[in-house]
Amino acid sequence: MSDQRPDAHQRSRTIDFALKTYLLIGYAFVFAPIAASFVFSFNSDRFPSIPLGSFSMDWYRAVATDPLVWEGLRNTLLVGTVVAVISTALGFGAAYTDYRYKFFGKQAYMALALLPPTIPVVILGLAMLAFLSRVDLAGNAFAVIISHVVICAPFAMALTRLRLSQMDASLEAAAWNLGASEWAAMRHVIIPFTAPAILGALFITAAVSFDEFAVAWFVSGLNETLPVKVLGFLQGQVSPRINAIGTFVFVTSMTLVIVAQVLLTGRGAKAQKAALEEE
Amino acid sequence: MRRSVSLYGLTFSLPLLLWQLVFFVSPLCFLVALSFWTVKNFRMQPDFDTINWVTMYGRSVFWMAYAKTMAMASFAAVLTSVLAFPLSYAAAFKLSETARRWAVFLMVIPFFTSYLVRVYSWQIFLSDAGIINVMLGWIGLGPFHLLNTVGATMVGYLTLAFPLVVLLQMFSLVFVDRTLIEAAHNLRSGRIRTVFAVVIPSARVGLVIAALFCFILSFGDFVSPIYLGGGDPTTLSILITDTTKSGQQWPRAAVIAITMIITLLAVAFMAVRFAYKGRTK
Amino acid sequence: MQRDALVAFDGVIKRFGSFVAVQKLDFEIRKGEFLAIMGSSGCGKTTTLRMLAGLEAPSEGAIRLAGKPINDLPTWKRDTPMVWQSLALFPFLNVIENVEFSLKMRGIGKAERRQRAEKWLDRMQISEFASRNVAQLSGGQRQRVALARSLVVEPEILLLDEPLSALDAALKVRMQTVLKTLQRETGITFVYVTHSQSEAFSMADRVIIMSRGKIEQIGTPQEIYRTPKTRFVANFLGSSNIFTGDVVHADAATIGLSTPSGTFRLNAAAGGAVKTGQQATITVLDTKPALSLDRPAESRNMLRAKVIGEEFVGATATIYLETAGGQEIRVQKSHAELSDLPVDIGQELYVSWSQDDGHLVSAA
Repeated sequence: MSDQRPDAHQRSRTIDFALKTYLLIGYAFVFAPIAASFVFSFNSDRFPSIPLGSFSMDWYRAVATDPLVWEGLRNTLLVGTVVAVISTALGFGAAYTDYRYKFFGKQAYMALALLPPTIPVVILGLAMLAFLSRVDLAGNAFAVIISHVVICAPFAMALTRLRLSQMDASLEAAAWNLGASEWAAMRHVIIPFTAPAILGALFITAAVSFDEFAVAWFVSGLNETLPVKVLGFLQGQVSPRINAIGTFVFVTSMTLVIVAQVLLTGRGAKAQKAALEEE
Repeated sequence: MRRSVSLYGLTFSLPLLLWQLVFFVSPLCFLVALSFWTVKNFRMQPDFDTINWVTMYGRSVFWMAYAKTMAMASFAAVLTSVLAFPLSYAAAFKLSETARRWAVFLMVIPFFTSYLVRVYSWQIFLSDAGIINVMLGWIGLGPFHLLNTVGATMVGYLTLAFPLVVLLQMFSLVFVDRTLIEAAHNLRSGRIRTVFAVVIPSARVGLVIAALFCFILSFGDFVSPIYLGGGDPTTLSILITDTTKSGQQWPRAAVIAITMIITLLAVAFMAVRFAYKGRTK
Repeated sequence: MQRDALVAFDGVIKRFGSFVAVQKLDFEIRKGEFLAIMGSSGCGKTTTLRMLAGLEAPSEGAIRLAGKPINDLPTWKRDTPMVWQSLALFPFLNVIENVEFSLKMRGIGKAERRQRAEKWLDRMQISEFASRNVAQLSGGQRQRVALARSLVVEPEILLLDEPLSALDAALKVRMQTVLKTLQRETGITFVYVTHSQSEAFSMADRVIIMSRGKIEQIGTPQEIYRTPKTRFVANFLGSSNIFTGDVVHADAATIGLSTPSGTFRLNAAAGGAVKTGQQATITVLDTKPALSLDRPAESRNMLRAKVIGEEFVGATATIYLETAGGQEIRVQKSHAELSDLPVDIGQELYVSWSQDDGHLVSAA
């Protein structure tokens, strides 16, 4: 697809240049706030602007010594880990169900499994708050975990389902044929094959939970997660601490995502390369 | 294999189903019920009273918020789609395979940054002594009042939805049949005209879906209207957060939420109808 | 059930909703034979194989393995290993782990597993690849891994679902030899499903031809080729000329058939019993007719046709002709036989064959 574009002889240099410039402007717009946050986290000024002040780690220090931030971080990590495990398990089950079975009402089942990310978080937050208060579960880490699993399971399901569609259509049947019962085939064939996606799902659901602030804000009560604390900072004492936290969260999320990517593509790519060299 | 329901099959299919039924469907259904409850002496009571609906729908504040939110979300959907299109077009048609993969990867990064932090960054850019005004000052312009305006809210919506819209548009543009474009060129259709006459109609489904997602996100967002728009105008999302956190008027908040859901469903339905109009799925 | 029968299909019917994939199958598979089930897509051959493997359950009827009905036995409890069309090798296991798989599922210990797997790798001549990942192997090597994996348990029966369809021509022929030799040496019953006539006829002891869920004919490749039982089979094999007409004469010695292309005689013994006035079909193998410019002897069956095309396959050529009435004729000859005959397009020739060359097809 790269250099043999069919309209090669008809491309206008001006239009191409204009489009590529626009591309750069677009990405600049998207990354401006991210870059700014990163830069200003090291800036000494209390009210960030240009020209820049001096290099300083003060904000990181302030954040690292703030017990409220640590508490928020603790909650976020706890919630994130539990959410990752539960979402991935539920998502895997739903993906396998979609892969293997046909049944009456399957479309409704799939809709239910994939719908949550399309509901505005404000509404979801309110609904969860009202419902969980009724059963006395609101205002603690459980409430956040429950809500986040609702939001994150669809991601785990989509990722696992994608991986399952890459599986040879006869692989599971081949396992049965060779003497594996359904459970044995799941243990010895399906799970080993989907392992990269399962790992990826764990990391991605953790990352989604890590950043989710809206629903958490509604239901976490006093046990605020870190994003909720950030929301609080925005409301109250706006300060460059937010940049320090933001950069930290960004680095962590990106690490989770990159690890997931490497796991998902690493194994496959290596084997393919070797096969090509052999033939 | 065996068609009958087995313990094995249920072990995998039931958990998510039960979880979503209990923790997703029930809360939403409860929300509907909640809208009919009454609040007496700051305490909620199960009831079947339409007072919340009557009160809420009778308030001009509500309808103002509804109209403003609809207008802003619609404008955001159009603006984002239009601004994203040249970028997605460039990425889909003018980049090499490798460059395109990088383009996608870079556009995915924002999803893993905190939206809150990005909004705070925009405050830095847009405030009266912020980066933009300082830079304008160097060439003798301004300062302009950029923060706490509708424009600032729009910038916020863009930050929220732009990456997603670009990715969705890119995805559908990549699958446009290149031979159609060639044929159009061959039939003397100029480059720009071909874009409007061939490319956009071919990718219509994806473009409409992208705009729909932008609409849904903007319609429900409360962060940009509050922290970049200064709370003015009041959107439905602001109305919900206000009503919930102060005064415990949850039934009224429920009314707003349900109205929002119905509106979104209607918009989504019409959008999908429009997207697939005249073509089989 | 016959004494040497290993598998019996007894009135087996398979429905998918309202679609009948397999209509009342009754046949037996003999111990130690190489059986091919052949037909075009949708004929039910794969469904039949899957029912034997336990991947589909018959809607009606019974399947018996070594005398015992196995309808209710789940796949993993049957001893019917299969070689898949896509091979279905486990990508996350290396070659020897793939081969050991079924032994592992049976709970056989590590040392014994390894030993037995190595024995089969050696037999299939792929020992050197034991610790390689399957993705690193060539098509032919992967085929051998798939075979080793299924045979390591030393079953009584091996099922094969079009395993050679993805291979190129040269490799295909080589693998056919491998399979045939393997079957002879091990004595394992092979049930081989394919749509390719050449594969089936070159390897199998017996062939079942299926169409639309029914068995059209069972027999040795020779039998089917020489004496196709139905018009469908004759058509399917594609190497016969088929004439349909009314019986005008039927006695103990000869049968006379009046067709739009002419009236032809064939030996009464070469088919079933027909009565005058009945409709019947006869086939003449394309290697039988003679082509000539001059009118042949009156004792021969003859017709006049115009050459419409020619096809070369290796050392032989197939001449296509058409009669005035539109009947298509095909005649296969070696290049030598055609050397002094004009066969340009449009050339009119006599096509003739003797009374012994015709075969009456039993059904319409």
